[in-house]
Amino acid sequence: MSKQETKVKDANGATRRDFLRKAGTYTAASLSGAAMLLSDPKPAKATANVSWAEHFQKNYRLMTDEEKEEAIERLEKRYSEEFGKKVKVGSEPAIEGVLFGYALNIQKCIGCRRCVKACVAENNQSRGEKQQIEWIRVLRMEKGKFSAEDRDVHGYPEDYGIQVGGNAYKPAGVVLEGQHYYEPDQVPEKDAFYLPMQCMQCEKPPCVKVCPVRTTYRDPDGIVVIDYNWCIGCRMCIGACPYWARRFNWGEPDLPAEEMNPDTHYLGNRPRMKGVVEKCTFCVQRTRKGRWTGCVEVCPVGARKLGNLLDPESDVRKVLASKKVFRLRADLNTYPKFFYFMD
Amino acid sequence: MFNFQLCGPIICIGLLGAASIASAAGETVQQDNTCFESRKGLSQVQQQEIKPGVMNVKCSPTTGGVLLWGDPFEGTIPMGDMSIEADYSHEEAVVKPREPQIDRNKLLTICSMACHNGEYVPYPENKLARPLKMHKDIVPDAMQLKHGKGAIWCLDCHHAATRTKLIDHYGNEISFNQPQKLCGKCHGQVYRSWRNGIHGKRIGMWQKGGKKRWWTCTECHNPHDVEQGNRNSGFAQLSPEPAPVLPKGMSNADHERGHGEQAH
Repeated sequence: MSKQETKVKDANGATRRDFLRKAGTYTAASLSGAAMLLSDPKPAKATANVSWAEHFQKNYRLMTDEEKEEAIERLEKRYSEEFGKKVKVGSEPAIEGVLFGYALNIQKCIGCRRCVKACVAENNQSRGEKQQIEWIRVLRMEKGKFSAEDRDVHGYPEDYGIQVGGNAYKPAGVVLEGQHYYEPDQVPEKDAFYLPMQCMQCEKPPCVKVCPVRTTYRDPDGIVVIDYNWCIGCRMCIGACPYWARRFNWGEPDLPAEEMNPDTHYLGNRPRMKGVVEKCTFCVQRTRKGRWTGCVEVCPVGARKLGNLLDPESDVRKVLASKKVFRLRADLNTYPKFFYFMD
Repeated sequence: MFNFQLCGPIICIGLLGAASIASAAGETVQQDNTCFESRKGLSQVQQQEIKPGVMNVKCSPTTGGVLLWGDPFEGTIPMGDMSIEADYSHEEAVVKPREPQIDRNKLLTICSMACHNGEYVPYPENKLARPLKMHKDIVPDAMQLKHGKGAIWCLDCHHAATRTKLIDHYGNEISFNQPQKLCGKCHGQVYRSWRNGIHGKRIGMWQKGGKKRWWTCTECHNPHDVEQGNRNSGFAQLSPEPAPVLPKGMSNADHERGHGEQAH
């Protein structure tokens, strides 16, 4: 009885897969109705090559190993054709006993933006004037502009009536709270420090809470990942993230074939499509194979550290143990695993 | 330790030789494609193909800084003996030898043989500061050396007789490939952090026991010019990578530069 049942299940599964596999060979044109719904009215090469089966695959977390293998095979074929080189799409799961944490020495950062550009090169973001996506942003923080002349000694000026608690109508000091577009000849500048920000890989990520299709989720190693194929582009996560860590592909990503990094991960740096959200994954394609992330490796001042929070001997734990550490917006109970430290 | 010092330069020369042969053989490799790792001019690396389709480094087109390492361990040698136990004692630790960088214009070789051979320039009698006739290009603040705030002078670090070596507290030789042994003499706190992997830079495998390339002190810091004018920073200035593209419809970034003078 039970044997028969499994047989039927197997047969059903096989039929469904066979159907999808066959359907996948049809071109988008022969299924124009559905294709029009699902893809761009003027499809770019990338969108046109998306097979029928890819549109109808399951949420990555619900796929069986076999289905994952098929999905990856489909993607590898599509990417390899599109970029003219052998593209590997990895599916490495979280490593047992690892919880990734990041530490950034805010005292050391010189604001050179090398991490930003290394990240783009490693993670296949869209680049160029038309649509530029960067997962890391570096804020230039000013040390402030204060002057005695601007000081309002009275607390409140004449003719304004008595203000409860006083009110300086002429602020004596103004500090700019972060500049994204600073462009000096040389960094670091004397009167500034720099604050890089990216996905904090929260333990309680607000973006995951709001995702209506549960395509973004926290993996056991603490990395918040996205199944781009299941993303509906509603951008709720972008609104929910207090760190501005998420980016949206408003148009077809502009990724030149010669610059494309062929070593990818399904949940990480594989090329994205129009209409999906993306963000830093702690270079899941590297870290799950033991390698440091692109930004950690590139930082010319060694301000960036990544390690296993569960290992007391790891870089990050040593930083937590011996340095002054803070997190951004910890008051929101997001439990970010991205720590800033000072010597 | 002594063994290592003997071998260091030989390995380096071997590597350099191999690199030059490779670049001569590869037709696609251009000649002028050097990038820098941390310090412009003093941590140069030649871009070349190490495997079909894989470059040893990927560089920024705007600043020439290395962005990605195809092979993080390319051109490295074992770190060598270290007197105090740390991560490098338990896992494979490699460094990029400094000697080829310092000796790239044959400075080290010529200095030690042509001038500082003990005859032409006699060995100094004491460590006191005196006007330098040469090397002002290397040591811009030679007479008021900022490094050590006047407490140290050339021969507290450099070997008086063997100019291809540095010295420790007891006058024993230290290789240029292991500057940490010298710098750690004074900068103990930083040295401890460096040994713990939380000061300075390492690339390669993050996992415990994984192979790591350690950056040594002089790959990032210039011991001859520690304050860069009045900036008082341990790291020389660099050209930054370009700013992000402005959002559509925004013509400039003045909104984030003003101090609100107009508003009040």
